Amino acid sequence: MYRKQVRRRRAVLALLIVGSFALLTITYGSGSNGVQRGVSAIFSPVQSVADGALKPARDLVNWFDQTFDARGRNERLQEELREAREEAIGASAALAENAQFRKLLKLDRSGAIPSGYEPVTGRVIARSPTVWFADVTIDVGSGDGVEVNDPVVNGDGLVGKVSAVTGGSAQVALIADHSSAVTARVVPVAVQGAIRPNVGDPGDLILDFIDSTKRVHRGQYVVTAGWRSDEIESWFPPNIPIGEITDASIFDQEARQQVHVRPFADLRDLDIVQVLTGGSRG
Amino acid sequence: MILTPKIFARLAAIVLLGVILQLSFFSQVALFHVSPDFLPSLVVALGLLGGTMTGAVSGFSVGFLLNCLLVQPLGGGSLVLLSAGYLAGLFRERVDVRSPLAAPLLCAILTVLAELGFGAVELTLATDTTVSGLILRDVLMQGVFAFFGGWVIYLGLRRALRPALVDEHPVRASRPPTVLGA
Repeated sequence: MYRKQVRRRRAVLALLIVGSFALLTITYGSGSNGVQRGVSAIFSPVQSVADGALKPARDLVNWFDQTFDARGRNERLQEELREAREEAIGASAALAENAQFRKLLKLDRSGAIPSGYEPVTGRVIARSPTVWFADVTIDVGSGDGVEVNDPVVNGDGLVGKVSAVTGGSAQVALIADHSSAVTARVVPVAVQGAIRPNVGDPGDLILDFIDSTKRVHRGQYVVTAGWRSDEIESWFPPNIPIGEITDASIFDQEARQQVHVRPFADLRDLDIVQVLTGGSRG
Repeated sequence: MILTPKIFARLAAIVLLGVILQLSFFSQVALFHVSPDFLPSLVVALGLLGGTMTGAVSGFSVGFLLNCLLVQPLGGGSLVLLSAGYLAGLFRERVDVRSPLAAPLLCAILTVLAELGFGAVELTLATDTTVSGLILRDVLMQGVFAFFGGWVIYLGLRRALRPALVDEHPVRASRPPTVLGA
């Protein structure tokens, strides 16, 4: 009797493990499937209601966290203010460049969205709980015109791109997700490279594959490159702000620069985002 | 654990409520810059209360539902969480520890292992990528959250599933012995 019970347990365990591997093999990299669309269709409204109902409680918890954080940030801001004062002395010469710089970056919200794209506004309704994933679920989907690989922005800059879509929701792989790679350009020096994540730290991205003969510096801005060749083109339109270079150390032995970029968008605290649907890529 | 249709319905409701609450609340709040992940603790608590099969099946179900709702590749979450649930059940069946700290400690340890497991699954399937050292801090913080959260979850689940638990005896009011002839 006991042996039979043990055998049955082992069989169930083996079945679950084999099932997990089979699901992983079948569904990895294939976007959404029928099961997910069905489950999502059933539970998305529940999630939306729960999201709305729990928002006051979330805000309360986040308020405590931000209050603690603000105490530490105050000292850092004092230091930044001192640096800003010093930089302001030489700012008169930079003023002339500033207009061109702003135009290039299209910092104002209306200008950040390229022509030909139809922005669809959505709200983040779920976020991956593990520390390894950097993706969120938003409450707009194929029913709103959202398609896989559509770029996603918020008021500050690039957030990521749609990686899977169901009728009423979509998964957005953030630019800090391990699967992300965005062709980017440093302005105004026009150095191109690829923005890749530093997995586990959404406040730090790495600008890779840049031309080793050109030097970039702290404080320069990074925007999407939006390249296009005869047959292929970038998923992201050009000139969407991505972030600011925070560190550009030179490794002499390797003759390359390790460039760290702080994203403009706060990827830990996303709420309202816009999916850029339609339009031509690049 | 004695599985009746009523208890099965309770387990399903617990799994569903746990996943919805995690995605809609806990994943969207930050404590010390880390969003707590209580799903491994939920699975570990179920494994501790119900044994290996309950732990493994509930872990698989939680992972499956999580991956479905997040539109992620299926299977990864199930694999990691069923392992956590199975190990918790194995602990219950093989180790005779009565300390009240056993449950929260196991929640913390298995949460850390589960987070590392999620990373292992992801990095095995992903292309070459850089990993920040900060992720270790985040993983350890998840362990701390799980210690405290796991305690509450374990006690709550023990109360919710009391009728099905084999080693939970109803407490009877003690009565003084009747002395004959007094």
